[in-house]
Amino acid sequence: MDKADKRSILRCHLTLMLLMVLGIGLVLGGLWGNRQYTDAGFTQENAFSVIQNLSDEAGRLYRDGLIPALAASGADSGSLEAASVSLLPGVWKDEERLLSALDGLTGEALKERQLRLLEVTWAVSGPSVKATQRRALAALSEEDMNRLVQGVLAGLSGQDVTLPDPAGSLLEGLDSADRRAMLAQILLTAVNRDGTYITADTVSEFKKAIRTDGGRITGWIWAASGRMNLFTRLLCSAGKSLVLLGALLLLDVALLFIWLLADRNWKLDFKWVAILLIIDFLLTFQVLPMLTLLFRSLFPDGQFSLQAITRLYTNELNLGALVNTLIAATCTMLLGTLIAFPLAWLVGRTNLYGRKLFRLLFILSYMVPPYVGAMAWLRLLNPNVGDLNLLLRSLFGLGDTPGPLNVYSLPGLIWVLTTFYYPYAFITISRAMEKMDPTLEEASRIAGASPLTTVMKITLPMTTPSLIAGALLVFISAASCYGIPSIIGVPGRVHTVTTRIIDYVGRGSDGMNDAMGLGLFLMALAILILLLSDGIVARKQYITVSGKSTRPNIVDLRGWRRPLTALVTLFALIVIVIPFATILVTSLKTDLGKSLFAPGNFTLGQWRLILSRAEVLDCLKNSLIFAAVAATVGILIAVVMSYMLHRTRIRGRKLSDFLITLGSSTPSVVIALSLILSMRGDYGIDIYQTAWIIIIAYLIKYLMMGMRTVVSAMSQIHASLEECSQIAGASWTRTMLRITGPLISPSVAAGWFLIFIPCFYELSMTTLLYANGTKTIGFELYEYWSFTSQPVACALAFAILLFVVILNFVLNRLTKGEFSI
Amino acid sequence: MSTVTIRSVTKAFGEQKVLSEFSQTFGDGEFITLLGPSGCGKTTMLRMIAGFEKPTSGEILIGDQVVSSDRVFIPPEKRGIGMVFQSYAVWPHMTVAENVAYPLKIRKMPKAEIAAEVARALASVHLSQYADRLPSQLSGGQQQRVALARALVGHPKLLLLDEPLSNLDAKLRESMRFEIKEIQTQLGITVVYVTHDQTEAMAMSDRIILINRGVIQQVGTPQEIYDHPANPFVADFLGKVDFLAGEAEEGRIRISGTDQWIPWHGAERGRVQIAVRPERITLSPDSGDLDGTLESKYYLGDVNDCRVRVGENLIRVIAPPESFASLSRGDSARLTFREFMLFPADERLEDSLKIMT
Repeated sequence: MDKADKRSILRCHLTLMLLMVLGIGLVLGGLWGNRQYTDAGFTQENAFSVIQNLSDEAGRLYRDGLIPALAASGADSGSLEAASVSLLPGVWKDEERLLSALDGLTGEALKERQLRLLEVTWAVSGPSVKATQRRALAALSEEDMNRLVQGVLAGLSGQDVTLPDPAGSLLEGLDSADRRAMLAQILLTAVNRDGTYITADTVSEFKKAIRTDGGRITGWIWAASGRMNLFTRLLCSAGKSLVLLGALLLLDVALLFIWLLADRNWKLDFKWVAILLIIDFLLTFQVLPMLTLLFRSLFPDGQFSLQAITRLYTNELNLGALVNTLIAATCTMLLGTLIAFPLAWLVGRTNLYGRKLFRLLFILSYMVPPYVGAMAWLRLLNPNVGDLNLLLRSLFGLGDTPGPLNVYSLPGLIWVLTTFYYPYAFITISRAMEKMDPTLEEASRIAGASPLTTVMKITLPMTTPSLIAGALLVFISAASCYGIPSIIGVPGRVHTVTTRIIDYVGRGSDGMNDAMGLGLFLMALAILILLLSDGIVARKQYITVSGKSTRPNIVDLRGWRRPLTALVTLFALIVIVIPFATILVTSLKTDLGKSLFAPGNFTLGQWRLILSRAEVLDCLKNSLIFAAVAATVGILIAVVMSYMLHRTRIRGRKLSDFLITLGSSTPSVVIALSLILSMRGDYGIDIYQTAWIIIIAYLIKYLMMGMRTVVSAMSQIHASLEECSQIAGASWTRTMLRITGPLISPSVAAGWFLIFIPCFYELSMTTLLYANGTKTIGFELYEYWSFTSQPVACALAFAILLFVVILNFVLNRLTKGEFSI
Repeated sequence: MSTVTIRSVTKAFGEQKVLSEFSQTFGDGEFITLLGPSGCGKTTMLRMIAGFEKPTSGEILIGDQVVSSDRVFIPPEKRGIGMVFQSYAVWPHMTVAENVAYPLKIRKMPKAEIAAEVARALASVHLSQYADRLPSQLSGGQQQRVALARALVGHPKLLLLDEPLSNLDAKLRESMRFEIKEIQTQLGITVVYVTHDQTEAMAMSDRIILINRGVIQQVGTPQEIYDHPANPFVADFLGKVDFLAGEAEEGRIRISGTDQWIPWHGAERGRVQIAVRPERITLSPDSGDLDGTLESKYYLGDVNDCRVRVGENLIRVIAPPESFASLSRGDSARLTFREFMLFPADERLEDSLKIMT
């Protein structure tokens, strides 16, 4: 080992040590600050900021106002001092504590402290000089003012004085302590001629900060003594945040140490910073909230108890919801996969007429907000007035009884879930089929197997891992869906776990605990599915690399071509065309019960409303901003992650990858719940009821969508392309900008949209996280549907649909047809 | 055993014509190689015989049966062909034995017979001990043998091989070459073999069909094609060759750009192209028809590879050991063309040598 090596190792050790010390310092400082704040009896951490402000202003007032005024007036400073000291015990009950604040002080310092105490006292609890009078005092001439100050000082030293108006009227009817307090206020107002005094806001903040008795005295003392410097203030007012920051830093250092130790390579790399930042982000906003949720539901009062859980899960309504969820998810999975596999094969691998159009249609429905489908099916299958029911009744002469189909039922829920979630399986299976080496199927054909036998014996088993992965994705998506059951299930009393959770949250803080308990079920289900699907895909992934680029093997359907095309067309009509047409038609009706073509029933009113109403436009703006921020941050993380995953062997990349996958498979409702629990300041982060909590929820849920795209693009760029550029003399930066960047840019654009679109119309998380001012377009639509007007909701839904379709088109153009959703 | 008859088959993908007016008959038990640069249409021809592509026009017969024409199209599974793919196409979800048994299972052969046939097929490719392995546990060469066993297990009348050796390393390629040839001779089946590797084609084929840009350039035994190439492209594609411009006159040809001649007793006159193979030139320090300078020499073990400059031309020569030893770079050397080929000068050599992509 040579000297340079030793030096770099030393440097590395030193850096780690410094970081560790910094982390420990942050934690200890934070803990100290937090204890100060707790001991003082304050209920708000920011009380310390207010106190700091107040003590600053009091000091300024004394220095700039009072001292010069006293000097100019020639008054007896001793009598003022005496007056102050005699005043104070009357104000404070706890004299000892107060007087200890004056201990050991003499002369100017004592006087300053006393005056500050007076100032703070009268600012907070004395009779106050009203703003108009203060302005009147401030308007006095220099000469009058001097006279006033003289008078006030005389008054304060015990003489009986008569002050000129407006000050004189202020003193009317006050005696002894109150009179002296008012004199002190007038003095302070007078010497502070710019009229700012201490602002009303500061005073009210201060009052809020020291609402409790113990806190009040500590606050007064601190404000008067000017004890808080910027550092203490930081420690006290951000104690928890600092502890969090320090803990993260320590964790990072520990991780780094373990990695470096395992690598036996003591060199620091800038890449660590990137990967650790991502891990920290995920730990703070994903792992910590999840653990909180887990902890709070298993330890409801700080002690382990299954009582609440038992009560929750034996409740009849909840049990029903649980069973419903499992049945609905299982049926949706089976039905969805049964539809998706043949569709994927027909559209991807046969000479079906209009394959490309069908493919586009099926994939497009992947991007439709779930509640839009639910709304459409509700219009079609409402047992009383559903259009399809009306049609069936008139076709079969069933008379005027309700039915025959009822969407407000478990089968109805399953049907709508299936029509919405089968594309998930369709896309997964299609991708696997595209990746499969077509000669594997050709080999089967040449061995004598018919196309159908080939599908059953080669294509199906080869795509089984993807099939199962797709099926599990459908299962968990259906189980954790809120949009559809909220629209279909709730009116039909078909409850699911998600609707129960939202129900509980609506009941306030008690309900919150129950919501968490139910959330546990979804979380456990999601983790189980994740492990299952990971295991299957990892164990049985048949990667087949074909030696040359091959055209996909197209099976000639011959005689079956027309009938199968007809069947697929029928399916597309039922699942896509009719529902969306229903939405459009409904949005143009005045009277829902009448036909669109009935006289006077056609209207553009709803459309005009949604396009002009400020509230709708505000929500739209919110949605656009939230989605754009989430997509931009998300894509940055995705790019860094994809680089780490494919170009470095840096440790920790797998960990963050796992966390991101875990996040995306966590049910939305659970993400939102856990964020509510943990982001209200308990851990030093208080973003509850802000836009940030919504954006972070979106990020955790949808980051994966964009990352998968970028990662797969990166994996297709062989490292030799970059190495070649570096050999040619280009720097790393230049290589990234000139080679890697352009090669992955279409995927980056695609990834951005893939995060943006679901964030744009998100409903489940927003329902739990919105506040006034952070409502989104999806939530607005839901409110319109549930409470105001279905036609307006339909107009909004169709507008969202159009927007998504247009975005998809833009994406397709932008990436030269390489990507669409 | 089966013949294959191809009658004026043309294939176009959209506007792009990849094969035009292809007509050939492959005899019973013949080993036919479709040879040509990549993109010449050879694989397309093979896939049309297999039934994965339909000819745009023309017809294909296997034996007496029309398998592809304007009216008839027999799908691949009904053609009774064995085929080995470049990517092996060994099914990853089946064991070696299951892969090989597949064609027999499709035919619903009794289980006992399947087992016997599979064992025999695996033995013939020396894979008996790997029967229960999954393909992912095999090397590339072993996977290739599985593919071969699978293609042969059903005793096909016709075996199609699509660049089966191109993914193997050089040593393995050579040994597989002989194995395939041996199996073919034993079974006496008709083989259509697609490759771009001329050595492979020379070593194995009864007849080579050399294709360029979708057009047959020459058909013949390896020797016919090597010794009597029909055009400069064939001469260049098969073996090594240098082209020299020259002017033929009575009794001799002048090498363009020089004042040197080589003896000539043919009928051609005027501007010609001389094509000469390096192993058919004698290099000597002092005696020969042409005078040149030794530009480079390489010792490759089995041959001594030299390049001699004559005027503007750089001519490659396989030197006899004694001349190779006595000459060093920069020395003047003399060349004698023991054999050479003449092509008309107007043939656009540069053009035809370009490989269509």
